[in-house]
Amino acid sequence: MLSLQLPTVINTKPSSSSSSFLTNTNPFKPKTLKPNPSSPFTVRSVLQYNRKPQLSGDTPRVVVITSGKGGVGKTTTTANVGLSLARLGFSVVAIDADVGLRNLDLLLGLENRVNYTVVEVLNGDCRLDQALVRDKRWSNFELLCISKPRSKLPMGFGGKALVWVVDALKARQEGCPDFILIDCPAGIDAGFITAITPANEAVLVTTPDITSLRDADRVIGLLECDGIRDIKMMVNRVRTDMIKGEDMMSVLDVQEMLGLALLGMIPEDTEVIRSTNRGYPLVLNRPPTLAGLAFEQAAWRLVEQDSMKAVMVEEEPKKKRGFFSFFG
Amino acid sequence: MASISTLQVLPFPLSHLVSKHRTPSLLLKLRPEFGSRNGELSWAGRLISSQRFLLRAIDGSVSSSAGQDQSLRNDGVVKSKNKNGINLKDTVGELHGIISSFSPVVYSMRQRVGSNLAIGLCIVAAFFVIALRVYAVRKSKYNRPGSVADLVRRGQLRSDRRGISQPLKYDDPFNNPLVKVGKGNSTVEMCGKVYRLAPVTLTEEQQAVHQKRRSRAYQWKRPTIFLKEGESIPPDVDPDTVRWIPANHPFATTAGDIDEDLAQNNVYQKRGVPFRIQAEHEALQREQKLNRLVMDSSNDSDFVKAFKSGPKSPEHGEESPINNQAGNSKPLLSECGPNSFGIMSPSEETHD
Repeated sequence: MLSLQLPTVINTKPSSSSSSFLTNTNPFKPKTLKPNPSSPFTVRSVLQYNRKPQLSGDTPRVVVITSGKGGVGKTTTTANVGLSLARLGFSVVAIDADVGLRNLDLLLGLENRVNYTVVEVLNGDCRLDQALVRDKRWSNFELLCISKPRSKLPMGFGGKALVWVVDALKARQEGCPDFILIDCPAGIDAGFITAITPANEAVLVTTPDITSLRDADRVIGLLECDGIRDIKMMVNRVRTDMIKGEDMMSVLDVQEMLGLALLGMIPEDTEVIRSTNRGYPLVLNRPPTLAGLAFEQAAWRLVEQDSMKAVMVEEEPKKKRGFFSFFG
Repeated sequence: MASISTLQVLPFPLSHLVSKHRTPSLLLKLRPEFGSRNGELSWAGRLISSQRFLLRAIDGSVSSSAGQDQSLRNDGVVKSKNKNGINLKDTVGELHGIISSFSPVVYSMRQRVGSNLAIGLCIVAAFFVIALRVYAVRKSKYNRPGSVADLVRRGQLRSDRRGISQPLKYDDPFNNPLVKVGKGNSTVEMCGKVYRLAPVTLTEEQQAVHQKRRSRAYQWKRPTIFLKEGESIPPDVDPDTVRWIPANHPFATTAGDIDEDLAQNNVYQKRGVPFRIQAEHEALQREQKLNRLVMDSSNDSDFVKAFKSGPKSPEHGEESPINNQAGNSKPLLSECGPNSFGIMSPSEETHD
């Protein structure tokens, strides 16, 4: 695994360079990172070959993937991280907790196989194991939808129902799943409350724009009030060319504003739309795309409860080669 | 010599050829002359005849026996001339002229091209047949119903994951040829693009500062109760923990439709028939049982009536059970009422 460690930074006092943004009174003021090639940091890169990530924490790890704002990539993240985890050998149950507007089944290409949902389980029309849709590509990945688009969930026990589902999954015969990923609906409404109820940890998906960051900050506040302390963020749709031109906040700017550990940084990739249309998650693409690789790395960090220690800032200009490059 | 013998043998096929190919009359006239003076030929006439003969032989594209090598034939002619001791100078010159006027090489080439083409065609045909055979065998092998290849073709099995003996290839996202870390660890190459790396400088103190800021900014209590807009708050509930939900929200409907404990049991059910299915099935069975009882009782009464009243028309006897069933079924169904689970049967639901 590529683990870019900075052991002197974490658990120590901020360095003189980092203290500058602490004095910034306005947390929402974007601060674009200026490349400073003469900075004396040293990044240690450790490549660990031929090993699987070590699962840390108690299973099942119930992770809610939330954002506050809509359209930032929660469902895409759930699908790709979920299938990455399945490829890494962990059993995963992805729950689409969006009551009215579910989309996870479409992204996974399983829309034709969803016959039963949690609502049918609650009503006694089917058992829980019948409502779980097993992915044929990776059999240790299962999808559970909370309701059909037009059906209605009983109001009283939305959150309780998910807690029961998690408990039932823990006690099932095949064994407890390693990960339960909950795709949270946008907003901070009843759907959000339902989705976060059984979660132990959260992944906050955001894009580097101020609207998304404001909503994200509020959602983090609600999660912290609810007792979920293990929150990591994933910055989606990052464009390094715009960061270089100072038209977009860098990931470090986002981190400075939200104060969360980084789980991943997903570059903008046209393949995302293509994979969504196909119902074939990015991480299964061969050859892997840039965004797919980033999702895989994020999944790896999620397993190990690790976080990014270095981020891609900008694309380095290509070195000039040839006879004329000698003359500058 | 072969050439002479051919010359001697030639007349017969030639005659055949001549008749076949309608040669001019001049050549036909030569024939008896050629045959009668077998050994003593005057070379002047002979030469003419041979000239014509050769000309005709070439033009007529004679069979393989007649079409011997042109050069050999010429040699034979020359040698026979020498034997007879005739003035050769003129004849040789004429012969040269004849020979040069024709192109025996072209003739032989033509013949050779034809035979080569035939052989080549045969070889190509043989190869084609072999290839066709191999293709047919392979096709039949892959089209075998029930084979793994058939499953792959039908989309039941992924071709790249065939065979359970092979373990699934584990892709390490960090041990990937598309991810390379630069020598100074300050760059990373992903998918052919080199990116500069910057270290993350967030400290735990900074995280704590942010947490404090948020806890001050967002005072939030998890809602414990969801109420529709317009409903009154129960007396023992903290108003801060009430979540007001619009009446058209998906959560705001079907609130009291199902018991909470029952729903929990349904979620925890591991095996067996799901609750509602079982309940509906039992209700249906009960209904059928009642119907059967009704039918039996009606049959009995009919039989008694028929026995008491004596023999009647057979039509009445056949119709009566149907009428009785139709008449008796309604009150019995109403007696049955809703089942013990409080769930309406499908027929009742449709009536409602």
